[in-house]
Amino acid sequence: MMKNDTMHLAGVYTKYVMKSWFQYKVDAVLRSLAVFLREATGIFVIYFTLLEFDSLNGWNIYEMLFLFSLLFVTYGILILFFTGLRDFGHTVRTGGFDRFILRPRGLLFQLIFCNADWFAAIGHGGLGIVLFIISAGKVGVQWDVVTILYYIFAIIGGVLIQGAIFLFLATLNIYLLETGSIKELFYFNAREFAGYPISIFSKGIQAVMIYVVPFAFVNYFPAQYLLRKPDMEQYPEIFMYLTPVVGVVMYLLAYGFWRFSVKYYKSSGN
Amino acid sequence: MPYIAFGKKSFMLKSAYRFDHFMGILNTIVRIFIFWVIYKALYGSRTEVEGITMTMVTTNFILSIGLEAVFYVHDFYLPDKIGNGSIATELLLPVSIKGRMIAENLGNAFFKLLYHFVPALIVSVIIMGIEPPASVSMLILFIVSALLGYGVLWTISFVVQMSAFWLINVWSIVTIKNVFVNVLSGSMIPLWFMPDWMSGIVEFSPFSSIYFTPVQIYLGQLSSGQIAYKCLIQLIWIVIIYMIGNLLWAKGKKKLVVQGG
Repeated sequence: MMKNDTMHLAGVYTKYVMKSWFQYKVDAVLRSLAVFLREATGIFVIYFTLLEFDSLNGWNIYEMLFLFSLLFVTYGILILFFTGLRDFGHTVRTGGFDRFILRPRGLLFQLIFCNADWFAAIGHGGLGIVLFIISAGKVGVQWDVVTILYYIFAIIGGVLIQGAIFLFLATLNIYLLETGSIKELFYFNAREFAGYPISIFSKGIQAVMIYVVPFAFVNYFPAQYLLRKPDMEQYPEIFMYLTPVVGVVMYLLAYGFWRFSVKYYKSSGN
Repeated sequence: MPYIAFGKKSFMLKSAYRFDHFMGILNTIVRIFIFWVIYKALYGSRTEVEGITMTMVTTNFILSIGLEAVFYVHDFYLPDKIGNGSIATELLLPVSIKGRMIAENLGNAFFKLLYHFVPALIVSVIIMGIEPPASVSMLILFIVSALLGYGVLWTISFVVQMSAFWLINVWSIVTIKNVFVNVLSGSMIPLWFMPDWMSGIVEFSPFSSIYFTPVQIYLGQLSSGQIAYKCLIQLIWIVIIYMIGNLLWAKGKKKLVVQGG
């Protein structure tokens, strides 16, 4: 009964979130298109560059597009669930979080279903799907049950990894009021690097991408499992299989940190 | 002169947010660094590609991404004022809104030049190196051409901001404009490496005169005749785009009056 009730509430929330985002139709189309094009900028650039240079550390244009597609597909799904965490700093500063606390539902449940940035989801997700369609047939992957299952688990793992980073950064807001710059540094800057094969970077940056902000498990290692490029040799083979594990472990850790921290929440006051 | 005061105010305002400012510098350096690493991997053991050396590529990125920070135009300046209605009172003031806009943007640009461009330049040069300017006169012409480049970018932003008179939300238009600027101005892909079929678009659009013309002058790639020609093109673009913007401005103002604010 309780479970049904929760599902129902999630459905109602989603309905109203969509209504509010798509209220102005022309504007909604334009905004989604703008996000799509903004994110595609890097793709245009790498495409034109590789017309001249052929390959980047052994990765040709389609393999690069495939690598990018994993990043965009996971972000498109992620943002449907984690917009509330992305904007959590604002919610805390304006005192909106106090309202959530008073309601008889889980805090994280409310944050997840109360908002979803549909324009970002369509822009990023749409771009990811377009890139996947362009590249999937041309990178020499045999799409059978095993690879398709692997792909699905890699996507879920990639969403969880980034979700955990969002949740962790959101939790920091409980202690520090202003975290926009930390988010910029650890998430969005790290993501800039993630579009490219990490093997082109120095050891220090690679270590950050693998162990600190593990974007390498979002797209590089899953892509390596499917593409088997020679630059994989320098990493342990097991890394190609760890994405879902890293995702689940990181998410549980971030969730633990969140549960622990919420108890200490003090309102910013009005 | 009230405009100098506006410029100063904008300069002072910028210095209030220290941490954000440092993050901004870091962002610029990271952007330059990523492109540098990518191009190092692309070059591999080659010393030059199509006559362009790796140092020239580095120089292109340091200068154009550095200038990008200086040239930052606040695209929502007018849209914000139109959106919240404060434009009505601003129009009554005995100062021109356009004049004020330019003054505030220049104040901001001057601040960014001193406290953003210079430190980012120093750190980048230490990490990645840079080609020295071809000669002192080329350095001076680079500065002249960069100023004109700023003019081109400013007028483009001016036109885009005018759309606020007709649209509820200009965010999408601004974002799409930035895509064009980013791809075609040379700040994300050195225009030497644009495929041939794109060169027509690059040649006949205003975007390449924002960063790429100054960079080419700095590197001494253009003869004095070519420099005069390219700078003339920059000037022509400024005049044409500004006139379009002015036309829209006049129309928009009239529409605003009709609406009754």
